[in-house]
Amino acid sequence: MNRRRLLVLCLAGLGTVLAWAPASALAHGLVGRQDLPIPKWLFGWAAAAVLVASFVALAVLWPKPRLEQAPERRVAGVPRFLEPLLGAIGLAFFGLVVYAGFAGSQTTTNNLAPTAIFVLLWVGIPIASLFFGDVFKAFNPWRAAARAVAWLAAKVSRGGLPAPMPYPVRLGRWPAAIGILAFAWIELVYSGRGDPSNLAVLALAYMAVQFVGMSLYGIEPWNRYGDAFGVYFGLIARMSPLRWTRTALFVRKPLRGLTNLDIVPGTVALVILIIGTTSFDGFSGGPAWGTIGPDLTSLFGELGLGPGSALELAFTLGLVVVVLIVGGMYRLGVIGMGTIDPQGASTQELAARFAHTLVPIGLAYVVAHYFSLLAYEGQRMAYLVSDPLGTGANIFGTHNATVDYTWVSATTIWYVQVAALVIGHVAGLVLAHERALVSFDGDSQLATRSQYWMLVVMIAFTSLGLWLLSAANA
Amino acid sequence: MIVLIAHVGHWAINLLYVAPLVVAVGVLGYQARKDRRGGARGEPAVRHPPSEPPPA
Repeated sequence: MNRRRLLVLCLAGLGTVLAWAPASALAHGLVGRQDLPIPKWLFGWAAAAVLVASFVALAVLWPKPRLEQAPERRVAGVPRFLEPLLGAIGLAFFGLVVYAGFAGSQTTTNNLAPTAIFVLLWVGIPIASLFFGDVFKAFNPWRAAARAVAWLAAKVSRGGLPAPMPYPVRLGRWPAAIGILAFAWIELVYSGRGDPSNLAVLALAYMAVQFVGMSLYGIEPWNRYGDAFGVYFGLIARMSPLRWTRTALFVRKPLRGLTNLDIVPGTVALVILIIGTTSFDGFSGGPAWGTIGPDLTSLFGELGLGPGSALELAFTLGLVVVVLIVGGMYRLGVIGMGTIDPQGASTQELAARFAHTLVPIGLAYVVAHYFSLLAYEGQRMAYLVSDPLGTGANIFGTHNATVDYTWVSATTIWYVQVAALVIGHVAGLVLAHERALVSFDGDSQLATRSQYWMLVVMIAFTSLGLWLLSAANA
Repeated sequence: MIVLIAHVGHWAINLLYVAPLVVAVGVLGYQARKDRRGGARGEPAVRHPPSEPPPA
């Protein structure tokens, strides 16, 4: 065994001991409602130790690129009827959600629309995309509707339809980034978010915007760059070991899909928004915002705004500031990387080159912050599928199902949150190391050196995530 | 000041979350300084990638 490997093993062993020693020493000390054996801040230290150990392990045990050129393998064919069938199911479900929003009970928990949008779509689909690939693309209702209309129009016009315009390069993923920001604003700020009819109107408005985009620039280019949900879930699906095409299913190494992400304008903003808006969700539930928020609201109230508008403006300001802080953290890390980079790449170039490393962190933040929402509120789907309008119907016989808040404990949720954050950040480190190796022609020493600052960024995001979670759960 | 000290237990715990970051930045700063000193003494701070020969 050479000395470097021995050093890695020693460091890994030390990290493990450091992570577990306090646990055994303080095992009797129960903290908070979550029944934790060690204080929450110590999880932050242990997570940082795991990141440092992973960084060292990557430097020694991953000397050559392994992901970027890794081949994928075709494992099965996909019947041609599957895509239109799944699209029709997605479109029908979208129709049901919108109809429920308008015609159903306007009580949030009795209507299918809020749970389907904020739990199933926003939290369930990203997690499903990680394991099963781009499932949203298959069920995407506006894509399915547009494809059906395009097929019909081509039949009627006998191929006489004008070709769509080429998608402008400068637009990049900006439309998707704006869409994600708008959705986050509705979810976190908008006071009418719990009103099913408002959600139905917004869903139809979003669909209309997608139709305009697809008719101008073509269905696939718009779905690839402009559709906020299509782009966001598509990014997450790139981490999946499964890749679907219309005719086949391929298997690849996890994370492989992210290594060939095309970096166009708006990509960095999109991933920063995913992390930043989720961070604000955690921050707004903690004691710090509990102090700042009311002060800001009363300040805006004194300036002449009504109570509702003042509250929304305070939350909007908080959302923007947290997103800017998260963006600033990444920017600082990239500037630091630039001071080491021997190729002299610009900050802009480096930020784009390593943008894909933030995608696992974005998912980690989503899982960490919303896992409890999925675990508890997701159970509402059991009775909502039987009674989507909240009118007392019992279509599948599950009308009397209730939410069981005991099936997963607060302690388990905390461990899931910590695990998600640590795994997400280690995945980010792996991607950054791989990209550095490719950038420096396989020179692992140079690649490792260039990633010191990325390690700091990862530790910063992990610490922030755990602080937000601990504050929100306090 | 008295209020600040009286509530030290409330906010000081938050500082513990920043500690790993402070340590990481400190180590990085130390390493950068060491590299600069090595560079001043004429030692190469980094190896150049194989495709890019060191400047003459």
